[in-house]
Amino acid sequence: MSIEFNKVSYIYSEKTPFEYAALHDIDLLIKEKKMTAIIGATGSGKSTLVQHLNALLLPSGGKLKVLDFEIVAKEKATNLKALRSHVGLVFQFPEYQLFEETIMKDLCFGPKNFGASDEEAQKKAIHALKLVGLDESYLEKSPLDLSGGQKRRVAIAGILAMEPDILVLDEPTAGLDPQGAVQMMSLFKELNQKYAKTVLVVTHDMEHVLNYCDEVVVMKKGTIYAHTTVKEFFKDTSYLDELHILPPAIVRVRQMLNERGFHLPSDCYDMKQLCSAIAKEVKHHG
Amino acid sequence: MGNFVLGKYLPYDSIIHKMDPRAKILAMLLVLISIFIPAGYLGYAILAVVIVTTVLTAKLSLKFVWKSMKPMLFMLCFLLVVNIFAVKTGDVLIAFGNFEIYSDAVFNTIYIAVRLMLMIMVTTCLTATTKPLDLTLGIEDLLKPFKKVGVPAHEIAMMISIALRFIPTLIEETERIMKAQASRGVDLQEGKLKEKIMAILSLIVPLFVSAFQRAEDLANAMEARGYAPGQRRTRYKQLRFHFRDYMLLVCSAGLVAAVAVLALVL
Repeated sequence: MSIEFNKVSYIYSEKTPFEYAALHDIDLLIKEKKMTAIIGATGSGKSTLVQHLNALLLPSGGKLKVLDFEIVAKEKATNLKALRSHVGLVFQFPEYQLFEETIMKDLCFGPKNFGASDEEAQKKAIHALKLVGLDESYLEKSPLDLSGGQKRRVAIAGILAMEPDILVLDEPTAGLDPQGAVQMMSLFKELNQKYAKTVLVVTHDMEHVLNYCDEVVVMKKGTIYAHTTVKEFFKDTSYLDELHILPPAIVRVRQMLNERGFHLPSDCYDMKQLCSAIAKEVKHHG
Repeated sequence: MGNFVLGKYLPYDSIIHKMDPRAKILAMLLVLISIFIPAGYLGYAILAVVIVTTVLTAKLSLKFVWKSMKPMLFMLCFLLVVNIFAVKTGDVLIAFGNFEIYSDAVFNTIYIAVRLMLMIMVTTCLTATTKPLDLTLGIEDLLKPFKKVGVPAHEIAMMISIALRFIPTLIEETERIMKAQASRGVDLQEGKLKEKIMAILSLIVPLFVSAFQRAEDLANAMEARGYAPGQRRTRYKQLRFHFRDYMLLVCSAGLVAAVAVLALVL
């Protein structure tokens, strides 16, 4: 019951002058019930990778196992709809997928497509809307009248209403204000911990990776460059430089202090820990 | 949708790619005229040879051209059906009881099919070898003489170039929305009629919303940079006729004359 890529490759516009290989022989095992960040420069294949998870893109080579579903390249895939009900994929800027007259109808759209009755769908819709922090007074409003941030929440609620086991988010916080971004990431963490969902987040924000995720997958030019736990990942800053990744503020502070003569442990990742470590060292010398 | 090739520019390096867009547009019009001259089998044979040669000179593969004709196949089938019912002249080819298919119905369809195929090939030669922007520059220049009678040449060219510019964007957008809705369980291939209508609605509404949004943003961006349609403006890229462009025009005029003579003789 996990996600397993086995030598998966993907080529856009195969056999045309515009042919472009986006993924090369990807081997990847994503553990269940973890929150995994996928990072990498633009064009490194992150979006292509996540679109394989609910079979929107089918591999050009290799094979892929998601939950109980197996997708093998060049073989006709069956039961894609069932797979999609288990894997909820939230695209970049998901606001554009809203189309119904009322938010209620839009939230019911997903569950109904997967065979829920009207009553069930409405129940799921109300639950999902509460999860994203909007109250029931929104249900009869038009989704097109909301502000940008609210639209984003409703769009994500539209996926949550399907109650997927795996939630995949492609840059969910892009374009949100810092506070909105933090709320959004906390929501995903809650879904991961309280509802035991497997969460994958494509992101560029290292603070989010450090604060919310358990594991991190680094992509580079269509290959998996690294796959490790978050704590391990931010331990070695020279490695981050190599990837042109600016570490989170707290890691930078620790690193700068260490360069100037401090001896701070490399595994403290929150403000409190770091402060007490600094205080201890100052007292020791004073 | 990524395989949609009609009207796509292909960045190869051939003599036809280098020609002046104005010459290419005029040549295309001349060849289109010659396609409409009824010059019998020989006339179409000549035209076919000339057009295929042009396609190959432009380094386009015949497969690419064939692909760009595919969208027409449906229309041709429809035409064949209409012709079978409407045309009742010529010899009877096949008879099912009272229902008869006449030879003229089939010939008419083939005739139209050949013309359509040749037309598509010629226009593909133009659009595949000319960058959309060069094409609009050419159109603007060619429309200039009509400015005196009130044809807004620049505005038309600007509208065409904006429309062309947004075709790939809208196709990309459509793909994005299709994928997003597919994630929500939309199945465009299967399902009952009501579900299908819903599926199409879930695609069209967001597409319109974003297209209007884009149009508004673009209009604002243009105004913010001081765009005024009626203003005289200079151009970064100046079009210039070379020897090869004159040759192209002479050759295509020759083709029209040849086909016309052939039509008169027959």
